Amino acid sequence: MKVARQNIHWENHQKHIPTVEEEGGRVWGCFRSCFLQSAAPYTEGIAYKILKNDLGIDLREAPGHTSCGAIGYHGDVTKLETQMVIAARNFSVAHYELGVDNLFSFCVTSFANYTEMIQLWQEDPQLREYTAKTLKETTGRDFWIPQVCGYPSVVHASDIFYANRHILAAKAKYSLKGIKAVDHIGCHYAKIFPGEVVGGCEFPRVLVGLLEAFGAEIVDYPERRHCCGMGFRNCAFPENRDYTASSVYKKLSSLKETHPDCDLILTNCPGCTVFLDAEQGTIKEVLGVEFNIPVMDYAQLTGLLLGYDPFKDCGFNAKVVPIEPLLDKIGIPYDKSKTPEERRRPF
Amino acid sequence: MGKLIEELKQDIQYQHGMNACLNCGICTAVCPAAEVYDYSPREVMNICHQEDEEALIELLKSDKIWYCGQCFSCTPRCPRGNSAARVILALRRLSIRYGYFAESEKGRQQLFAKRVFGENLLKRGLTLLATNITPQNFPELGEFWEYYFEHMKEMREWWGVPMDLENSPGSHRIIPEKDMEELRAIYKATGALELMEAIEKGMEKKLGSKEEVEKYWQTWLETGDSRNYQLKKEKEEDK
Repeated sequence: MKVARQNIHWENHQKHIPTVEEEGGRVWGCFRSCFLQSAAPYTEGIAYKILKNDLGIDLREAPGHTSCGAIGYHGDVTKLETQMVIAARNFSVAHYELGVDNLFSFCVTSFANYTEMIQLWQEDPQLREYTAKTLKETTGRDFWIPQVCGYPSVVHASDIFYANRHILAAKAKYSLKGIKAVDHIGCHYAKIFPGEVVGGCEFPRVLVGLLEAFGAEIVDYPERRHCCGMGFRNCAFPENRDYTASSVYKKLSSLKETHPDCDLILTNCPGCTVFLDAEQGTIKEVLGVEFNIPVMDYAQLTGLLLGYDPFKDCGFNAKVVPIEPLLDKIGIPYDKSKTPEERRRPF
Repeated sequence: MGKLIEELKQDIQYQHGMNACLNCGICTAVCPAAEVYDYSPREVMNICHQEDEEALIELLKSDKIWYCGQCFSCTPRCPRGNSAARVILALRRLSIRYGYFAESEKGRQQLFAKRVFGENLLKRGLTLLATNITPQNFPELGEFWEYYFEHMKEMREWWGVPMDLENSPGSHRIIPEKDMEELRAIYKATGALELMEAIEKGMEKKLGSKEEVEKYWQTWLETGDSRNYQLKKEKEEDK
């Protein structure tokens, strides 16, 4: 066999995520994303519908679980100690109140944050002891570490879509045959703990596997792994957001140069989903350059192909780049008697 | 060895982020911040490596440590297993503890981080709130986001993600008060409140009074750009 870098990475970076047909894959505890529920709430909406209705997963979520606080961590208002105890609290709530062993998060930064805390506890008994003791003292709760297939870890929501991709593809009403697509993996999904990523950080399989299962042709481009520029304090404060727009410009210029016919970018990170789309508007306004590349997350794409409504279910009415040309190309119907504005403004 | 160097070396983020930097510059080559700012993670690593107290203090007072976007693109590419992004986490906390953050324009933005992310967590248990993503502060989200923002409650129900439900799981829910009390206790016991307080105090010291801090905050709320607030020194120079 020809030894390409892909093979080497693939061998080193596999984790088992149970499908709904396996033990441990039918009940999941989940953590909400504070970024998604603020900036793209419809994405969690469609993910829920698919996980529950199409995959039949028993999703468990406690009212009392909180944000992991990692935006505050990477935004420098909390400490590592804080992150450890909050993670332990959320794990404890999920296990002792909801009876779940395996957990996933909708946010990639939560995924990285929880992975970091679990690995620190594994490596350093003192940190584990500190966390368990502080958790007990502040909340009265008991320490517990989540496991996926017996391995101390959590996974990301896109991992579950990936694991169940063939089941989803078999149910799909539409196919991506003839569609050229590329993934954009969230930095905090892949780059902090590449060993916890399906396929590693340079050649991750999580979204490419989903796209291929739906029949898409994958394209590659030089800046494929460049960050979208969300950058926490850089996107959060308008005076820093030239950082975000510049990163999007760098990426999309590279894509357009290499594959001007690429039809869509698939994401798994809340920040990328929002800013790769939104900054195309800024770039058009400031530089007069139009990319018009639809950006969507794994749940929105799966929703479209399963036959959910592009606007009411998948939320494409709040995006900057129009989705209709792609819907036409795939052959997904929508109400053409309405104007684009009418489709996007239901009230 | 200086006091700050000693303190930095005690930080677990520093211990995990800094092994031995060979100054190859791969981190800078792949860094999105280095692309747009006068910033080089290699330079930051180099300064830390030298263990020169004065150079470290200068770094902690500068904009540089605040340019990093925390994407960790540097981390998997480093051939020596260092993480500049992780070292930045340690440097920023040191800068806040000593009030040095208030000496730079980008550092002073920590007041917004504290009053947005920090206060959101303490009041709602959520780091970001739906009401933070205003069309005024995020004009790039476009006209359809403006429409959504005006019809937030109805739109979220229409999408099947109703907001602000009490005693219920779900999007943007109201977290029960007993859980909020636990969260606040964690913030206090783990030193996060102290860190947030250091941001308020550092700003007060730099700007001269609590009133000036409020003016700085108001300027940002009203214009979305803290550079519209003039520091006393800048005002005097104008005269």
